[in-house]
Amino acid sequence: MIKLHQLSKKYEKFEAIQSVSLTVNKGEIHGIIGASGAGKSTLLRLMNLLEMPDAGEVEVDGQTLTKLKSRELRQARKSIGMIFQHFNLVANKTVYENVLVSLELSNVLRKERPGRVMECLRFVGLESLMEKYPAQLSGGQKQRVAIARALANKPKVLLCDEPTSSLDPNTTAEVLGVLENVNKSLGVTIVIVSHEMDVIKSICTKVTVMANGKVFETLATTPQGIQTIDNHPQYFVDQLKKDKMDHA
Amino acid sequence: MPEILVQYQAEIVRSIGETFVMVGVSILAAILVGLPVGTLLFLCRKGSVLENRFIFSTLNLLVNIIRSFPFLLLVVFLIPFTRIIIGTAIGTAAATVPLAIIAIAHYSRLVEQSLLDVPKGVIEAAISMGATVRQVIFKFLYVEARSGLVLGLTTSIISFISYSTIMGVVGGGGIGDFAIRYGYQQFKTELMMYMIIIMVIFVQLIQFTGTTIARRIDKR
Repeated sequence: MIKLHQLSKKYEKFEAIQSVSLTVNKGEIHGIIGASGAGKSTLLRLMNLLEMPDAGEVEVDGQTLTKLKSRELRQARKSIGMIFQHFNLVANKTVYENVLVSLELSNVLRKERPGRVMECLRFVGLESLMEKYPAQLSGGQKQRVAIARALANKPKVLLCDEPTSSLDPNTTAEVLGVLENVNKSLGVTIVIVSHEMDVIKSICTKVTVMANGKVFETLATTPQGIQTIDNHPQYFVDQLKKDKMDHA
Repeated sequence: MPEILVQYQAEIVRSIGETFVMVGVSILAAILVGLPVGTLLFLCRKGSVLENRFIFSTLNLLVNIIRSFPFLLLVVFLIPFTRIIIGTAIGTAAATVPLAIIAIAHYSRLVEQSLLDVPKGVIEAAISMGATVRQVIFKFLYVEARSGLVLGLTTSIISFISYSTIMGVVGGGGIGDFAIRYGYQQFKTELMMYMIIIMVIFVQLIQFTGTTIARRIDKR
């Protein structure tokens, strides 16, 4: 589904990505992990050309993005969804309008829009919050709105840039659950960049480890399931006591 | 009503009308030209969507130069230009030319500042969704910056009123000019005070309206 061929990207003198080749297969949940500065976010942003590579080719769903004219690239981006660490919702639009805007960008017929928006909001479980503004939502809910927005155009790929890194463990589980569902029931190929090992282990079927702008290793993994955390105060106490025991 | 106001009623009403014309034209110029210029300043800067050093530097320099002039000097300096456009350099219509020019320079800076407050990530999200530049502007930038744009316009309008009081030098009239000629130069201090009170009321009303609208439309 995604093929990166000998990609390189430099910032000033810093070589963020050095001749990286990588294939993401259809239907995968492909994790990218590495230390900060390893180039994982840059690599993800190269997949929809939010960053332009200095050398190499990017192919998504059979189209070589690096060869497209700007109009064709915009068209291609509509079938590549993306979500971000800080959600990047329009704060002055309601939940409904935030999802609607992505349909307005691609020429979906006006009368088909409301139904599609509601379908997406229902998928992420937020149809009851459609009139709310992002400021009134929790982090997890904001990220689910972002997912609904990304899904509105029925993308084939969903790029996730640290989607849970500003969320607490409970909401992380909530968002990961939705992502897994996007993959399983809609068949969307997912690429997920994270520095959190637990996140990568929980849902990824393949993982690329990056270091210093290069691929260190890519390996197939078995998703270990999403850990849900008990919100009961006793749980926190138990965890704290357990750690003490381990170190004793 | 105080006797002196009754006595000068006709002149006062006419002066207020002239102020409205001058400020009104300034507001139109600010919105129709200042807003696009400010948007271009934002879009053409380094690292932005339409990065273009030439357009940015040119507009930036132009806006700076206009804003460097003491306003009175700008009015005098523009007299030949005004004569070409309006046909005369004297009167309320002629006065609108320098006012429109300062209005554009003034508001475009405030527009640029408001747009700079929009989180970069929002623009990035728009681009990742395949938005055109036009769509980025109208469906994302202006929506997100709208309360700043309104507050900026409010500040600008109040400055325009202040600028318009100078236009007496080219026979532009207006309430400020009336206050000077009748109130100050003819020693009718009472009349001058009343004119000041009228202007204070105008400014209060404008600021209150602007602040209220900005608060209402801000959902951030």
